[in-house]
Amino acid sequence: MAESTIGMLYGLGTLIVMFSGIPIAFALGTIAVLFMLVFMPAAATDTITQNVFEEMANITLLSIPLFILKGAAIGRSRAGADLYLAIHAWMHKIPGGLGIANVFACALFAAMAGSSPATCSAIGGAGIPEMRSRGYSPGFAAGIIAAGGTLGILLPPSITMILFAVAAEQSLGRLFLAGIGPGLLLVALFAGYAVFRFKVEYNSALDVWHSGGAKSAYLDEMKMTRADKTRMLPRVIPFVLLLIGVMAALYGGYATPSETAGLGGILALALIAGIYGVWRPAQLKPILNSTLKESTMLMFIIGMSLLYSYVMSYLHISQGAAEWIVAMHLSKWLLLAAILLFVVVLGFFLPPVSIILMTAPIILPPLKDAGFDLIWFGIVMTVVMEMGLIHPPVGLNIFVIKNVAPDIPLKDIVWGVMPFLGLMFLAVLLLCLFPGIATWLPDLVMGVAS
Amino acid sequence: QSAGELKISHQFPGGTATEGDFRDRLCRRFSAEIGKRTNGALRGTVYPGSSLMKTNAQFSSVRKGALDMTLVPLSYAGGEVPETNIGLMPGIVTNYDQAVSWKKAEVGKALANILADKGVLIVSWIWQAGGVASRTVPIVNPEDAKGLKVRGGSREMDMVLKAAGSTVLTLPSNEIYAAMQTGALDAAMTSSTSLISFRLEEVAKALTTGRGKTYWFMFEPLLISRTVFEKLPKAQQDVIMAVGAEMEAFALEGAKADDQAVAAVYQKAGGKAYDLNDAAVKKWQAIARDTAWKDFAGKNESCARILKLAEATL
Amino acid sequence: MSHGFELEGAVKAPEIPEGGILEGINRLMQGLHTAIMFLSSIALLLASLILCSSVFLRYFLKIPTDWQDEMSVFLLVGATFMCAGYVQSQRGHIGIEAVASLLPPLVNRLRLVFCDLVSFLFCSFFSWKSMLLLHEAWVDGQTTSSSWAPPLWIPYGFMTTGMTLLSLQILLQLLAGIVRKEK
Ligand code: NA
Ligand code: NA
Repeated sequence: MAESTIGMLYGLGTLIVMFSGIPIAFALGTIAVLFMLVFMPAAATDTITQNVFEEMANITLLSIPLFILKGAAIGRSRAGADLYLAIHAWMHKIPGGLGIANVFACALFAAMAGSSPATCSAIGGAGIPEMRSRGYSPGFAAGIIAAGGTLGILLPPSITMILFAVAAEQSLGRLFLAGIGPGLLLVALFAGYAVFRFKVEYNSALDVWHSGGAKSAYLDEMKMTRADKTRMLPRVIPFVLLLIGVMAALYGGYATPSETAGLGGILALALIAGIYGVWRPAQLKPILNSTLKESTMLMFIIGMSLLYSYVMSYLHISQGAAEWIVAMHLSKWLLLAAILLFVVVLGFFLPPVSIILMTAPIILPPLKDAGFDLIWFGIVMTVVMEMGLIHPPVGLNIFVIKNVAPDIPLKDIVWGVMPFLGLMFLAVLLLCLFPGIATWLPDLVMGVAS
Repeated sequence: QSAGELKISHQFPGGTATEGDFRDRLCRRFSAEIGKRTNGALRGTVYPGSSLMKTNAQFSSVRKGALDMTLVPLSYAGGEVPETNIGLMPGIVTNYDQAVSWKKAEVGKALANILADKGVLIVSWIWQAGGVASRTVPIVNPEDAKGLKVRGGSREMDMVLKAAGSTVLTLPSNEIYAAMQTGALDAAMTSSTSLISFRLEEVAKALTTGRGKTYWFMFEPLLISRTVFEKLPKAQQDVIMAVGAEMEAFALEGAKADDQAVAAVYQKAGGKAYDLNDAAVKKWQAIARDTAWKDFAGKNESCARILKLAEATL
Repeated sequence: MSHGFELEGAVKAPEIPEGGILEGINRLMQGLHTAIMFLSSIALLLASLILCSSVFLRYFLKIPTDWQDEMSVFLLVGATFMCAGYVQSQRGHIGIEAVASLLPPLVNRLRLVFCDLVSFLFCSFFSWKSMLLLHEAWVDGQTTSSSWAPPLWIPYGFMTTGMTLLSLQILLQLLAGIVRKEK
């Protein structure tokens, strides 16, 4: 059978298995094993367990549960609620202030974590309930966190950028710096949208109320004196301490990136123990339980998607498709468009780490020959892969949201993230028109690349 | 899937037959050449950058016949086949001439037999020198490593470094750059080619090269699965082994060129390159003899025998 | 907990029918899951503490830290696999339920049974292969290739046990689904 036929069968089979409702992790594993049995040597299935184990037993990836622990400690104790209360007290006059605060919180956490689902979970655990209790629609709240969470891989440090830098033989330092401009651009776009959407939702809530309907929490006035507001300020201290502690350990050269993840978890637990008295086993149980539940779910999807991408790679499906695109000898910008479209399609099914490992070796040489700056392309590709993280059927961030807010229907989450997908697409266009958004900072700090 | 396809997996950055990491280029040349000599009856497909499977799964997949070929540092199999640790034993190989002599020496034959018993055949004997990138002082003599936070990268190297007084730490290779940038890590050891692709010259200013002689040599052969190999017709087996042997000269040239290139990279970035002399290599070797060599020989009789045969090539 | 929107548990109905063998097995599994969650929580905390302590040991006391990363990895991987059964008991392995609302109730029930059956087949296959890997690591005395070089049968043992428990949990839910259908 031709590579392309097998590839189409693989894609189709995946869609059927996934939409049947089988849990994503098992669906990925099942389709992979089926294709192994039919199209690969018998010995292939003897290696699946070792491959999955090697994928999971990796300290870089296993920092995800530790980041989730840090997020859960804040999000599932009063610390998170207090933080949002304080931010809200100071920002409630700004339309969409709480939404903006959440985007900023995601960006700050992204600067501490290298993975997007971890960022999403850390902020979403506290952020989504707080936004909803103040009237934000479930889809809007979910969208902000899902999209804000994707910044985890665009703002340094980033697991996927590390892999890209190695595959593309580019400077990691330069790539990290190049992510900052576009990261801030996305923060601005997301925040701007939060203001707009807030106004729309606020006005419709107002209409409903005026026409005799229910009064939305949007319309609850916060009456706060300056003294009240000032009293709220110390509640931000635990979060600031945590941020400073983690940043100092990482950038001060005390801890390696993976140690920083463990340090963050312990520091967060120590803070809620010291300040909120949360230290008894019964109090810690919900935090630890939710951390284990969520990270097990995520690690299973990541582990099994390794099997899935192993089969894709072995059967030369992704490579074949990439080679087919390259063989069309498209003009410079058409080539870029085709490749990005390809990354989007892969992003339907695969997490960013797998996409980079499989496609980078094939798509990078022609892009380089076409005259694209690979640092710039690394950033564009990262933004496109971020879109994959909030795009069904496999969108890790969507699953995290589904986990932290199980009562929001998947449909609402998916619709909620759509506008953000549009904003990310806009960011990609802006990056194409003004490459300087990405390249300006690294050129400034490290000099123009030779 | 097609009858004559050999899938070759490795962990190094991918390129083309003429550009990029020489280990990747070697695999591509090998593929092209076997295709030519068998008139297309046999062809290789290269999967660079661990794009087919996890680095650590490659060796056992070759053993089981799930993967046809791999180019891999042999010592990665150390947990599975203890004898393979000799492939990255500090001080046991000190220059390229000695390294090349292994294939025909007793140690080479013994090692090949052990691997064959485990279901793996050596197609190309590839050796590479390595060096140390340091953000502070250059690590030339063992005394220099005292008190520094160093990533040795292997059990044996870590033992030597600990004996030299370093604060050894482990971290994945993709975190070296970040850790060195912040100062969590002072120095790291790896092959010249990987030193180039990790771009540590941006964060490390002192390089100790493997030019001339060094205590850091790594054996990273091109391997084929025995079950896969034995299913091929004799003529194709001969082509594989012949082309594999021819690639060794290319590998030697590539490895030596990278030892020079990495020095140039550091100098260009404003750093400084240092070379090891005889006396320094002897000092490292003396420490290794008391630590890593002893530990290795103590594992089992087979390891002790391999060590003895290896020492004979010194 | 401070916020009112976390309706955890509210979406799931009692899955296992009351009375009969299934309930007994379910009780047993629940007990096991509780114990595992407790031990995994300790593993999670321990992994974090080990990573923290390695910063302190290396930076301030200049003591080499060459086993801490691997130890934490094993604790976390062990916890991940061991908790999989519990997560399944809570239906926490997320899937796409988009078609659920489009199907008539009977067809939807069949679909759920089908999903559990496929999940069960895959997880048992994986468990079986894990067992083979565990056996191989045990017989060959395999270790990791690090400085610390712990035996591989330990993490492989967690993988095998965890996947087997997961398979049993799915089987239980599968059987419950079939029984429920026949009522
Ligand atoms: Na990040
Ligand atoms: Na996706």
